[in-house]
Amino acid sequence: MSELSFLPADLQSRLAEIGEVDILIGVPSYNNARTIGHVVRAIQAGLARYFPDQRSVVINSDGGSTDGTAEVFAGAAISDYATILARHPLRGVHRIITPYHGIPGKGSALRTVFGAAVATRARACAVVDSDLRSITPEWIELLISPQLAGGFDFVAPLYRRHKYDGTITNSIVYPLTRALFGQRIRQPIGGDFGFSGALAREYLCHDVWSSDVARFGIDIWMTTTAITAGFRLCQSFLGAKIHDVKDPGVDLSAMLMQVVSAVFSLMQQHEASWRPIIETRPVPLFGFDYTVGLEPIHVNVERMIGIFESGVRDLEQVWGKVLQPETMSAVQSLARQSRDSFRFAAEHWVRVVYDFAVAHRRGVINRDHLLRSLTPLYLGRTASFVLQTADADADQVEAILEELCVEYERLKPYLVERWDS
Amino acid sequence: MNEPFTARLVAALNTFYEGVMGFLPGLLAFLLILLLGLAVAWVVRFVVRRVLTAVRFDRLADASGAGQLLSRADLQATPSALVAAFLFWVLLASFAMAALSALDIDAIDRLTAEFFLYLPRVFAAMVILLVGFLFASFLSRATLLAAINAGAPSPRVFSLAVKLLITVLAFAMALEQLHIARSIVLAAFIISFGSVMLSVAIAFGIGGRDVARRMLERRFESKEPGDELEHL
Repeated sequence: MSELSFLPADLQSRLAEIGEVDILIGVPSYNNARTIGHVVRAIQAGLARYFPDQRSVVINSDGGSTDGTAEVFAGAAISDYATILARHPLRGVHRIITPYHGIPGKGSALRTVFGAAVATRARACAVVDSDLRSITPEWIELLISPQLAGGFDFVAPLYRRHKYDGTITNSIVYPLTRALFGQRIRQPIGGDFGFSGALAREYLCHDVWSSDVARFGIDIWMTTTAITAGFRLCQSFLGAKIHDVKDPGVDLSAMLMQVVSAVFSLMQQHEASWRPIIETRPVPLFGFDYTVGLEPIHVNVERMIGIFESGVRDLEQVWGKVLQPETMSAVQSLARQSRDSFRFAAEHWVRVVYDFAVAHRRGVINRDHLLRSLTPLYLGRTASFVLQTADADADQVEAILEELCVEYERLKPYLVERWDS
Repeated sequence: MNEPFTARLVAALNTFYEGVMGFLPGLLAFLLILLLGLAVAWVVRFVVRRVLTAVRFDRLADASGAGQLLSRADLQATPSALVAAFLFWVLLASFAMAALSALDIDAIDRLTAEFFLYLPRVFAAMVILLVGFLFASFLSRATLLAAINAGAPSPRVFSLAVKLLITVLAFAMALEQLHIARSIVLAAFIISFGSVMLSVAIAFGIGGRDVARRMLERRFESKEPGDELEHL
């Protein structure tokens, strides 16, 4: 098929040999030899236990690993299916290792997975990260069964995370996506998804593979495209998400800039979709919700507040072009608060995010600089959140986040007004 | 006796008259060219101002930092107004020089020729300064943001240092272009730039040895002590 001409020739031949499948699992990777073996065994166990009669393929879309990731992927196997209370799958599971073409990034890797899904006419697909340590065979069932049995097209993950983890998701991506598009997908950039063959074909129809989506915005793009294209959505509770320690040199400012840039760009692309939405609704949830014991983590609140205060002192000229005077005044007065009363109110934070979204659209200053200037504000908000929830349990924290989401929804008319002005 | 005097007087007056009549057309041409230049310059200013407003040049200039530069220089005019005004005066000056050549005076002709030969250097110097200022503004803001986000002490110092270095470089290049005191400018630039770099090296190498070591350790260590947050 000409639409699949981007797939490597070897892969196309291999897929043609395999023919049609029922289930396709994609594992994008880059130098994940330490963890990918466990991921592959979990996938294999999940397929054996829950889908023994289905035709399946597991495809590793690799970005040129040099640590033996491909060898580990190829060699990982379950020695005794009886120990995992499963029988050897009737049909066997095909395993493919392929490099991906295109600009380096998860997006290019997933494009190859989407292409393979279309080539094999897979009915149900899933993608899992290759650095997962907490993946279990049940993840496969939870990402695939809603598609096969429930007719859903997009399965978002729902993890049980430490209350301080995922603060970019909790303070920006989740509530903003929820307010804009009306769907309460708790983790829109989770990294592990289920998607139908029809949705994979939809993904390939969009020409985003040379853009920043391919580099670092693929997760939110997948979620947003599934919503705006009218596909059926659900969530599955997967438990704890524990993955390999990320590169400690990753710059928070760059990470924040990439994620928020992707969200803001999608806002501009899908303006017609989100403008008329005034209510949000819950998304069906599958899986058995349980509490997970998580190791405590320590947060350097003083450093965060220090960066926030430095931003207030030195970024007035930049923020003055972005924030409304009342919001700017609230931010400045927050910098004068003592630690005990340091509270970045939800209303002010939401106004900050909406003002930045508008400024990003208008290009009032260089967009890279604009989003980097958000970092001190984000750290101020995160520090405030940490102080506010110091003694709170997971349910109480979730209630506070729900209040934040309601604030995003309440102030949506403010966003629309600023967007149009 | 009166005839030679009268004849010489008439001849002198004739010479004067011929001189005036010979000069008047040139003077008239000078005035006409000047008026034409004024009209052309005014029309160009009007059209340029309209075009720049239509393409939202002021907003682009603001986003690039040029607007900020102007407000710091206490210039109330918008960037589009300034560009239009600049073109107006350049055109008027050019027409004025061309008008002067209509007077057909050798000294003025030489001056006009030198002016037109020097004009491209003036343009080049102005472009160098403009690009230099914009680059300095852009880089200093990038430095400020990076320093703040990294939690560096006194981020504004880093930002101002970057701006100063680039601005000095731009000025030196512009003066080089204008052939103004070349050897003095070059020597002053080398001495000042070199001494700044040497001071920084000494400050870090000897005076700030411990600080430099701690900064490098913080940069290459896994995380700040006690910060185990996963933001995504």
